[in-house]
Amino acid sequence: MAVLTADMVAGLAATGASCRVDESMASRFSVGDHIVVRNINPPGHTRLPRYVRGKRGVVDRDHGVFIYPDTSAHGQGEKPQHVYSVRFTPRELWGDTASDRDSLYIDLWDDYMDPKV
Amino acid sequence: MASHEHTDPPSDPALRVKALESLLIEKGLIDPKALDEIIDTYENKIGPRNGAAVVARAWVDADYKQRLLDDATAAIAELGFSGVQGEDMVVVENSPEVHNIVVCTLCSCYPWPTLGLPPVWYKAAPYRSRAVADPRGVLDEFGVPLPDDVEIRVWDSNAELRYLVLPERPEGTDGMSEDELAAMVTRDSMIGTAVVHAP
Amino acid sequence: MNGVHDLGGMHGMGPINPEANEPVFHDDWERRVFAVTIATFGAGNYNVDEFRHGIERMGAANYLSTSYYEHWLHMVETLMIENGSISRDELNAEQAKLAKEAA
Repeated sequence: MAVLTADMVAGLAATGASCRVDESMASRFSVGDHIVVRNINPPGHTRLPRYVRGKRGVVDRDHGVFIYPDTSAHGQGEKPQHVYSVRFTPRELWGDTASDRDSLYIDLWDDYMDPKV
Repeated sequence: MASHEHTDPPSDPALRVKALESLLIEKGLIDPKALDEIIDTYENKIGPRNGAAVVARAWVDADYKQRLLDDATAAIAELGFSGVQGEDMVVVENSPEVHNIVVCTLCSCYPWPTLGLPPVWYKAAPYRSRAVADPRGVLDEFGVPLPDDVEIRVWDSNAELRYLVLPERPEGTDGMSEDELAAMVTRDSMIGTAVVHAP
Repeated sequence: MNGVHDLGGMHGMGPINPEANEPVFHDDWERRVFAVTIATFGAGNYNVDEFRHGIERMGAANYLSTSYYEHWLHMVETLMIENGSISRDELNAEQAKLAKEAA
């Protein structure tokens, strides 16, 4: 196992450890697509919060390809896939008394969404 | 996969970290000199003055601002800021119609190279729970009342993208130097829980 | 996991109470926890997803009643034991030794 030495600190801090994967692969979604978030409830790690599960949103941006945390946290591989910025309305998330002007943006992996038919 | 030990650890975190550090050093897993370097870097060298420089540059240079909006990681790196917890940046711009606010509901994700380490309130349950559901109430608590016709955009940074708010340049700052402008940009204005006021 | 860390939309967490002119670290032990975490993370002992999940697994009551850097401390202890770098017995023994020296 490597050890981080004092002379490596500045370089590490400046370079970081991006989770972006330099691999082009087909995206399941395009900007403007209407999606519905999957209702998954994994007992292990996920970055899909409960407040968006099952909700309908619109793809606003494709960020590119990243490591998938749900597998990466458990030694099950990187499973790289596209991550998108997806926009939700407060009424979709919180009900009819919520704002009809504001918006919520959250980043979702391919595996977190289905097309809304 | 046990979620807690049979014997609860002693409650004193100072003793626990001292024991952990000693053991890891003894086993050659960490270099003690690296620890001091890490602390110095994040306590003294990296902080919101970095983000303020980015904002001031965007205010005075329209081409830079466009590069910042198109590819924030590259534009921020032009000013020498990059790295851990800022490898993939997105800048979101405030305007008279739109106010942006950033949160990490699941933990504490925050753009370290531009803002340094996050404040306690950003990482704690009250902000994390309320920012996504009641941003207007949160902004009231921070003393930032917004007109009803402003659209609030809340960004939950749950993936590895890190978000930085580009606040509006205040009125009455024409002709000010970049340094003077940077000096008025607060950390909270780049999270979205404040706006920038001219001095 | 559907843990208590998944806070978006929850009620009852209280006022935000931002501290004015807050220092980066509130205690020297926080500095040490931060540094030990970055050093072990930077050396590749665990990845960022394992880091986060290590905190998520700390137990709901424990999570809500402890401070941020106590979460990190719990995580580093847990992951460095789980990956075999250190053992729980070794850590307990070191804590006992330090407690005795301080007494």
